[in-house]
Amino acid sequence: MNSHRQQRTTKLAALAATGLLALTACGSGGDSGGSDDGPVSLRMTVWSGAPEHLKLLNGIADAYRKSHPEVKSIKFDVLPVENYTETLTTRMAGGKAPDLAWIFENSSLDFVSSGALKEVKDDPDVLPAAKRIWQQDGKLYAYPFSTSPFGVFVNLDMLKKSGRPSPAELIKQGKWNWDEVTKTGAAVHAKTGRTGMVIRDFDYKAWDNLATYWDGWGAEAWSADGKTCGFDKPEMIEAMTSLHKAIFDDEAMLAPGTAADFFAGEAAMTVTQMSRASLLTDKFKWDFVPLPEGPKGKYAVIGQAGIAVLAKSAHADAAAEFQAFMTNRENSAKLGAYFPQARTSQLNAATLAKSNAKLSEEQLSSVVIDGIKSGKVKPVHMGQAEIYSAVRSGLDALWKPDADVQKVLTGVCSSIKPQLEQ
Amino acid sequence: MKTLERPRTTAAGPPGDGTRAGKPFWTSRRRDQLAGYLFIAPQLVGTVVFVLIPLVLVVWYSFHEWNVLAGTFHSVGTDNYQKLFDDPKLPGVLQATAYFSVGLVVLNLSLALALAVLLNQKLRGSVVFRTLFFSPVVVSLVAWTIVWGFLLQKNGGINAGLDLIGVKGPNWLRSEGTSMLSAIVVQCFKNVGLNMVLFLAALQGVPRELYEAATVDGAGRWRQFWRITVPLISPTILLTSIITVVGSLQVFAQIAVLTQGGPSGSTTVLVYYLYQQAFNFHHFGYGATLSVLLFVIVLVLTVIQWQMRKKWVFHES
Amino acid sequence: MSRKLSTRAKLLLYGVLIVLCVPFVFPTWWMATSSLKPAGDIFAFPPKLFPDDPELDAYRKVFELQPFGQQYFNSMYIAIVVTLGTLAVSSLAGYAFARIRFPGQNILFLVVLTGLLIPSEVTIVPLFQLFHDWGMVDTHWPLILVPVLGAPSVLATFIMRQFFIALPHELEEAARMDGLGRFAIYWRIALPLARPALSAVAIFTFLHSWNLYLEPIVYLSTPEMFTLPQALTQYVDAYGGPMWNVQLAAASLTALPVLAVFVFAQRQFVEGLAHTGLK
Repeated sequence: MNSHRQQRTTKLAALAATGLLALTACGSGGDSGGSDDGPVSLRMTVWSGAPEHLKLLNGIADAYRKSHPEVKSIKFDVLPVENYTETLTTRMAGGKAPDLAWIFENSSLDFVSSGALKEVKDDPDVLPAAKRIWQQDGKLYAYPFSTSPFGVFVNLDMLKKSGRPSPAELIKQGKWNWDEVTKTGAAVHAKTGRTGMVIRDFDYKAWDNLATYWDGWGAEAWSADGKTCGFDKPEMIEAMTSLHKAIFDDEAMLAPGTAADFFAGEAAMTVTQMSRASLLTDKFKWDFVPLPEGPKGKYAVIGQAGIAVLAKSAHADAAAEFQAFMTNRENSAKLGAYFPQARTSQLNAATLAKSNAKLSEEQLSSVVIDGIKSGKVKPVHMGQAEIYSAVRSGLDALWKPDADVQKVLTGVCSSIKPQLEQ
Repeated sequence: MKTLERPRTTAAGPPGDGTRAGKPFWTSRRRDQLAGYLFIAPQLVGTVVFVLIPLVLVVWYSFHEWNVLAGTFHSVGTDNYQKLFDDPKLPGVLQATAYFSVGLVVLNLSLALALAVLLNQKLRGSVVFRTLFFSPVVVSLVAWTIVWGFLLQKNGGINAGLDLIGVKGPNWLRSEGTSMLSAIVVQCFKNVGLNMVLFLAALQGVPRELYEAATVDGAGRWRQFWRITVPLISPTILLTSIITVVGSLQVFAQIAVLTQGGPSGSTTVLVYYLYQQAFNFHHFGYGATLSVLLFVIVLVLTVIQWQMRKKWVFHES
Repeated sequence: MSRKLSTRAKLLLYGVLIVLCVPFVFPTWWMATSSLKPAGDIFAFPPKLFPDDPELDAYRKVFELQPFGQQYFNSMYIAIVVTLGTLAVSSLAGYAFARIRFPGQNILFLVVLTGLLIPSEVTIVPLFQLFHDWGMVDTHWPLILVPVLGAPSVLATFIMRQFFIALPHELEEAARMDGLGRFAIYWRIALPLARPALSAVAIFTFLHSWNLYLEPIVYLSTPEMFTLPQALTQYVDAYGGPMWNVQLAAASLTALPVLAVFVFAQRQFVEGLAHTGLK
């Protein structure tokens, strides 16, 4: 109810402003952006402006409009990936929510729990684990259109120079673990001056990417119910101590405040998602292998994104119908060319290989299929942005050679306590 | 202003002008006033529509809690202002803001003045140097900041340069001691050229004879600088300091591109914090409250500077 | 202070000036040369002053990944329209506040001056709503209307007012005797004299519009509508990983032409700024 009052006041202000503007003959011919009852126009926000992605999306949209003449147009708005969620919410604040939107996994809980999303059709073909963060009270609020496991890309040429065994050999010997990775990283740095291991996109800011490391120790940022802090638990302290040592003592990892890009040939190994295979060139020989084992054995981590329908959309039903079409079996197979689908029907190496020319069936099955089936999503919480920023700020003290790991991690817990208790 | 009352003698004058004892409504004075209102109308209306109405709305929002995602909006009285006083992060934010503003103003003004004095010497090729010092002003701000972001990496160009002279440079953007300094320096080199040019123009307006007389009286260069140059260019110092202070409080793109407020919040200035609260954390109500605080700070600082003008500025024409 | 200098003092002065130039010139130099290096060489330590084997690959990608030409045009035309609009609005208002007496003048001037004190971040949400109600989101209107009529033009009005205040009264008196109306006096007498202040305002305004970052991010969402600062931060792969050399190539493309124009026309440019009438 209150939002109505607020809208009315804004309208009044806008009306007054429009009147004043017209007085000075500066008024523009902009028509009111309201919805009319005629043909439906749909808008969807996405964060990828890659031509091949947009071509795929527009192709699906065109096919849909052929069978649905009442939909006049479907437009994809590209918002900058760096501040995608902020821009989306600014638009919602200004009353210009899109009809559909891609949602990052890290804001999934915020969106799902706020009631901003409309329930979407569930498909039993989609793996239950992949739907977890998009559900509430048994209802699904977004289709996880991208479920991308993390793995390790390796520059084989660089490993050769460092005189260290390749991951394939280590896997055969059952020794593909973080200890060996640290040794390899240190050797690369000592022999070539290049960087050993890069946890891609972490850059000492996006700490949630470190889940690809500490999950191997069985550590977690917070408990599954989001109420208990995990940073000061023994397994986390052990994981972070080991990471700190790998960074500062062994110099096996990218140091803070430096930059090195694996795909440009500046680093020997990088932890990232399979989708990045498109960045590979033929400049060096490479391999793609699962995450190394941690003290707790094998583990997998996935990154996710969902396609959702905004509840506030003027054409929510039409949008939901299009959403269902876009994510049906046939179209999700098309999406699978760039975004791994967590569908039973598509989770076999042969199907995946068709759309991932750069990866072999073996690479796909060892990383992707196992990863999607067993992977844990990166840490998500209500009020993600705030808690994320607090953790980032708290962890900054850790990225110094002489940091007291236990003290820093305890500090992180106390700084996020108010958010965890909410 | 007597001329304003003189009746118009052109044919365009209203009928009956000057023929009766009672003055017609459209006297030339009234016409002139109307012209004044019409001239300022676009600016005035623009200010009301694009500045004052939004400002009033922001104040109004600050008494509400507004959840953008859920689409709820309800009055919370003065809760947001209470939160402002209780916010444990705010003192650090205000400190960072003060650090940035003071650092930038001091560095920027002294460097600008120094460059202007150097360029004001009779020297062949000073136009070339002036052009070089001014050139960053025309480079796009985001491009400039991105490039400095690369250069300030631990393995970037700055440290490579320091390496040449045997100094091991710090991790500029990643340590709390140097992150803010880096932000200040990047911003300073970007815009110091503007102030330099303003100072240069002011210096060239100082009459040569004053220095000659002072030299005769035996005053050294340093003394001349403080006794003659500084007082005479004080209006420009005031202007540049107001522009720089207000500008420094609005710094956003640089922080967003360079440090995102880190490490450990050491570069989280008020505008960045406000943006974070409103657009990252969805606390639009609290963001609005911080906006009000920012407005009050800018207002108070400007009033103080404007008052100082009376004591401080040598002459005002 | 401008006395003849000894040769030694001159040499010293040149030395100081050359050293001082480094932080102003090196970043631009590094940006331009690094954009010609393959991505792997950008962080070679120590950095190379010249690329070994310059390649234009990054420049090709700049145009491949985004409609960069269109975005260039957007930034350019918006900046020009904003500059012309601001010149008109601010010179009119500045003239009136300086030379015409009308009731409420001081109060109204103070009202306008508040625009100087309000950072754009403060009012961005209400403004967004306003433009949404007018159907102007994802158009260039907000990027034109707000700078021309709102807070950014207030500084311009202030500069114009200060300039007009300093103009000698005699010129206008003479024009008045000849029966010229206010607008004619403004247009034919005051404005031509105000050329230095106008060019200062033009430069300030153009650069402000050219550098705008927060507003385009909030208002625009179609790549074809983007402006340059916004486009610069878009050179990332679909998952947000930066593409360094492409980003630097795009940054060079935004900076170098403007720099070239500036070097060519620097005399007017700098001297225009110096004549803001605020000495």
